[in-house]
Amino acid sequence: MRVERPHSPYFRYTGPGQMVAKEAASRPRTPVGRAAARVRAVVFGRPLASEEEIGERLPKRKALAIFSSDAISSSAYATEEILKVLIGVVSLGAIAYSVGVSIAIALLLAVVSVSYRQVCRAYPSGGGAYVVARENLSQLTGLVAAAGLLIDYVMTVSVSTAAAIEQIQSIWPAVYDYRIEIAFLSISLITIGNLRGLRESGNIFAIPTYLFVGLALAMVGLGLFHIATGTVTPIVQTDVFIPKATETLGLFLLLKAFAGGSVALTGVEAIANGVPAFKPPEARNAANTLSIMAVLLGILFVGITVIAHAYQVVPTQPGGSSVVALVASAVFGEGSVLVPAFAVSTALILFLAANTSFNAFPRLAAILAEDGFMPRQFSFRGDRLAYSWGIILLAGVAFALLFIFGGDTHALIPLYSVGVFVCFTLSQVGMVKHWYAVREVGWHWRAALNAFGAVLTAVVMVVVVTVKFVDGAWLVVVLIPGLVSIMLFIHRQYAASRAQLAVQPDFVMSVPKREERVVVPVPGINRAVVQAINVGRSISDDVRAVYISADPLETARMRDQWERQVPGVSLVLVESPYRALVGPLVAYLDVLDRAWPPDKPAPVTFVVIPEYVARHWWERILYNQSAKRLRTTLLGRPHTVVVNAPYRREEVQGADRGDSGSAAGDAAAGGPVVGQRADGTGASGAS
Amino acid sequence: MTAVPEPNPRPIQRAVIAVNGATSDERIVRVACGLARPSNAELIAVHVVEIGWSLPLDADVAGRSEEAQRVLDLVEGVAETERIKIETVLLQARDVGAAIVDEASEQGADLLILGLPYRKRFGGDFAIGQTVPYVLKNAPCAVMVVREPMIEESPA
Repeated sequence: MRVERPHSPYFRYTGPGQMVAKEAASRPRTPVGRAAARVRAVVFGRPLASEEEIGERLPKRKALAIFSSDAISSSAYATEEILKVLIGVVSLGAIAYSVGVSIAIALLLAVVSVSYRQVCRAYPSGGGAYVVARENLSQLTGLVAAAGLLIDYVMTVSVSTAAAIEQIQSIWPAVYDYRIEIAFLSISLITIGNLRGLRESGNIFAIPTYLFVGLALAMVGLGLFHIATGTVTPIVQTDVFIPKATETLGLFLLLKAFAGGSVALTGVEAIANGVPAFKPPEARNAANTLSIMAVLLGILFVGITVIAHAYQVVPTQPGGSSVVALVASAVFGEGSVLVPAFAVSTALILFLAANTSFNAFPRLAAILAEDGFMPRQFSFRGDRLAYSWGIILLAGVAFALLFIFGGDTHALIPLYSVGVFVCFTLSQVGMVKHWYAVREVGWHWRAALNAFGAVLTAVVMVVVVTVKFVDGAWLVVVLIPGLVSIMLFIHRQYAASRAQLAVQPDFVMSVPKREERVVVPVPGINRAVVQAINVGRSISDDVRAVYISADPLETARMRDQWERQVPGVSLVLVESPYRALVGPLVAYLDVLDRAWPPDKPAPVTFVVIPEYVARHWWERILYNQSAKRLRTTLLGRPHTVVVNAPYRREEVQGADRGDSGSAAGDAAAGGPVVGQRADGTGASGAS
Repeated sequence: MTAVPEPNPRPIQRAVIAVNGATSDERIVRVACGLARPSNAELIAVHVVEIGWSLPLDADVAGRSEEAQRVLDLVEGVAETERIKIETVLLQARDVGAAIVDEASEQGADLLILGLPYRKRFGGDFAIGQTVPYVLKNAPCAVMVVREPMIEESPA
């Protein structure tokens, strides 16, 4: 004999009393839900089970492409940021300082990357600035670092997208007028890709990154060769960038140029955050990859700056070519196929740099959510194992920034470096404390190295904040404490609710001792009311119905009908001359509470609300509006439990057929209202 | 000398796997998945709960038995890891062997796969039980019995 297995389509037993839900268990059951799921499946792909997550370990060459696209791509706009400051200098030859400034930044890069090598070794499980600062300094400094990182990730998306569009407009100027639309499209595509669970391990990263690195190295090599052989012909530019005001060269301006160019350091921390993704030995491979990345970035950044100076390349007006595109054009020669190829590869790596934030931001948000500093939704994974909330928030904020700043890289950059240097500094200080605490072999020089890095990045942070304060850095200075305050507020809320909900370990649940009573607000007598009364009777013997009406005649009629059709259940009639429904009911509940003997523990009041559930969503707006208001009002009322007693329309037909197996059948069997019309106006008493 | 003809069996179309919650279940499901893969054959896992004569045959025993459900769910999980679709059938019967043979006939199976634990009787002889001989004798299709490896007896 064949035995039915009703659980089988939805669940699978894995142990005694333990089941695992199958995909079918989460499948929507309404037509609207199913249609939405089909659309979602087309756009985002089919839902993935947790065990389908791919935990691929990366070899160095792949990891370099994945983690360094953010850092290396910043060489595409860092030189321009220096030149935009120096072009405003009155004295001739001020542009020549750009080379010196870039070398100083490259030295800073060397110090920061050597310091971050230490982080790779000390935190093989991933040493984001938040983790390092939280574990070694304090939770508060961890949050400051986290706020800096969150801002940094948002800025990476905005700046990289804007810079990528600038590259495209270098070869196709008409793009300038549509930059916001293109930014929206590209961020949307990256968002959808990440919501689909785009794997960072794909070759999708390797090809554009290595294409850019190859072409950029060739460009720098060829440019330096031209300089060495004296074959450089300065280019002639017509649409030169005109600064708002000219200034005299001084320390402040040089520091401002340094602060502008230090944007090249953004993204250096990415490898230290992703050490567990490397193949073993993870820490050593990550540290070596970090060094290769720093060397490549240094060569490209200084090289592009030197060549730009040699060819006398200066920034152009908004909508014109970028400095790096002009350098490529000067070195490869106008009309060379390598010029558009380089522009495309630069745009691609910049788009990919935006994508690195889509991996890092949601993960950090998830860690913060798990620690209780962000709403818990940020730690939930969506259908495709992606942290959907974090992805959507990042995309929304990044696009909003692009929109507000008109898709202009230069306008966004002052906001960028501050968060980065806050993280660098806190991370390095945390590392000094780490080495001091563990005191392993060589801790002296390791701590000294991180201390030097910390001092240097702290100085740069102060410089960046000072010189760019008016240009927009003030916003980050306000945002970081603002974000930290919000995170602390959220943490306090969660801590308070946790304390309220906590059950003592020695608590053993016993039979409830408090008395229970049921109040059923009734709009008349109908099937839904009968079902609600039956639900109430199953909870307690103390059931009373409350009928509120503005019409005294209607009230009297209701009394007669109730006594005849629902005997044994007391009915409280409330006349409401002001036509209010919810207020008088709540007042009645208050009166009941006050009437309760003060020496007895307050009873639990179950308010059973009869609800008529229509078949279609559009029908539902016609019903239960009072019930909804009542439910909202009673939410949070002490010692009160709100019970919905839904009566479905399909069940009416079932009851009419005498289908006693359904809930409607119960209602029908419950009484004398069989044959009653659903609106309660009919009266065909069967008893 | 006449050449021995190459055996050219038809590819399997439908195989019934008899499972009983023993350790051999996973092994035979994997074997079945391997056999089914080339021809995309249908796999049907059958678990039989034997009902004693003291109870009516339609007594609500297997349906309530979480253990019986779990046997088939485990099989389903193994097939899923092998990325092979499997149908599961839970039966109540007076005799396990007869129920398996009946199910194989009813399903039109061309292969029946059973697991056999390596057990010894008190006298030290290998114990084959009653179900396997019955199936071997009565099954309408080819039968494959996968015996578990011998357990190394540790010196006392």
